[in-house]
Amino acid sequence: MPEELQKDPLTRGQFLLFGALGTFVGAVMTIPPVVYFLDPAIKSVLQGRSDIPDDWVELGSVFDIPAGKVVAQLVKFTQRQTYDSGLAGSKEGSIPNAVLLSWKDGKMPELIKGKKKRLSGSDIEEINKELNVMNNACAHMGCPTRWSGEQKLILCPCHGGMYDINGKHTAGPPPHGLWRYDFQVRGDGGLFVRHDFHLKGRGPGKPYVV
Amino acid sequence: MIARIRARTRETGRFLADWMEERTGIVSMTQKFLYEPVPKRGKWLYTLGSATLFLITLQFLTGILLLFYYVPTTDNAWDSIYYIMNAAYFGQLIRGIHFWSANALLMVIGLHMVRTFLSASYKAPREMNWVVGVFLILIVTILAFSGYALRWDQEGFYAWEVGTKIASYTPLIGNWMITSLLGGDTAGPATLSRVFALHVWLLPAALAPLIGIHLFLLRKHGEFGAPYEYSERLAELRKRRQMEDLLAEEEDDANQE
Repeated sequence: MPEELQKDPLTRGQFLLFGALGTFVGAVMTIPPVVYFLDPAIKSVLQGRSDIPDDWVELGSVFDIPAGKVVAQLVKFTQRQTYDSGLAGSKEGSIPNAVLLSWKDGKMPELIKGKKKRLSGSDIEEINKELNVMNNACAHMGCPTRWSGEQKLILCPCHGGMYDINGKHTAGPPPHGLWRYDFQVRGDGGLFVRHDFHLKGRGPGKPYVV
Repeated sequence: MIARIRARTRETGRFLADWMEERTGIVSMTQKFLYEPVPKRGKWLYTLGSATLFLITLQFLTGILLLFYYVPTTDNAWDSIYYIMNAAYFGQLIRGIHFWSANALLMVIGLHMVRTFLSASYKAPREMNWVVGVFLILIVTILAFSGYALRWDQEGFYAWEVGTKIASYTPLIGNWMITSLLGGDTAGPATLSRVFALHVWLLPAALAPLIGIHLFLLRKHGEFGAPYEYSERLAELRKRRQMEDLLAEEEDDANQE
């Protein structure tokens, strides 16, 4: 019976050659389109590249951040996606981010109340500890959150995520608190942010989408 | 006179039909496309598949028309839809049909699946048709979802954002999923291009052949999963109809006596 089934006899060498050829042709046909499709993922996940350059963008003055509430401030980051291939003169895009600012537990530090003209190194260190610079995208699904003065909470409209004035997760589905920006306070009180994020107690990471 | 014209027309018609049948097989094919015996119980429930097919066809037709005006860029997507809705003749009608038939499609395809499940039409030898159907409902759902994002308004944008975030919770490859869906690590022009490519090319191109397979398998096994071939099924149906008519006549006769 086996002889009958094998109408077209193949030697072991031929079989292996066909296998190798098939693998090669298959790879040539599938790898380029798959890698082409995954280009942004390869650049972001494997190479750690971001669409947004690591520049500091001015947000305003720390003296303008009020006590007892969260204020939202819009900032535009340069975005290099699709339109920017590195060619000179190619169009640069931008992405708006809403930054949520508040003092730790809503308490304004004394030195801010005093409206000092020039901040010393130790002043800046203190402000760094007291200031919350958060992204408004909910840590759950990325919906835009907002501060509710009535409930003294940052609320998400999509699935009911809630955060306190420090961006700490208090209720709802978010797995952790709000994403926090890397920021810099300069001598004149100028506040600068860049598109780098970290989670309180967890270190750097990417919220994606924003 | 009229009788002669009628006879001549019939002759010409028959000649044309024969001519086409001989060269393309279109007459017997039409019959094959149109007729399929369905179970007597729940007659109308067996039209859900055809309704789904009709709505998908509508999606293809109106979708192609929308492409004449839609611009897939972050700067212009919303404005181009505003143009369709407010300035283009019949724009509201075309987009309205696309939008509402998409909504109806999701409902009808769900009902079709429920009917298949409840009538146990997934049983042997029709399992593969169920499997193909599952892929079809999946593709249709992603199509509906990506169409939402193409509007590039607040609602569609955040819907897509939430969708990609859901994908980002996939174990192990979450980061790969979301960056592939966004076209980067942030939402931007690449995101819209990707959604457009998915919605207009990739998914419809995957949908069409699967629909073909779905229909082929339906004809192969029929609604009952009967052991008969298609032509035998039709013959069986005709035989049963004749029997029923005969019985009904006999009953009538008996009643009259």
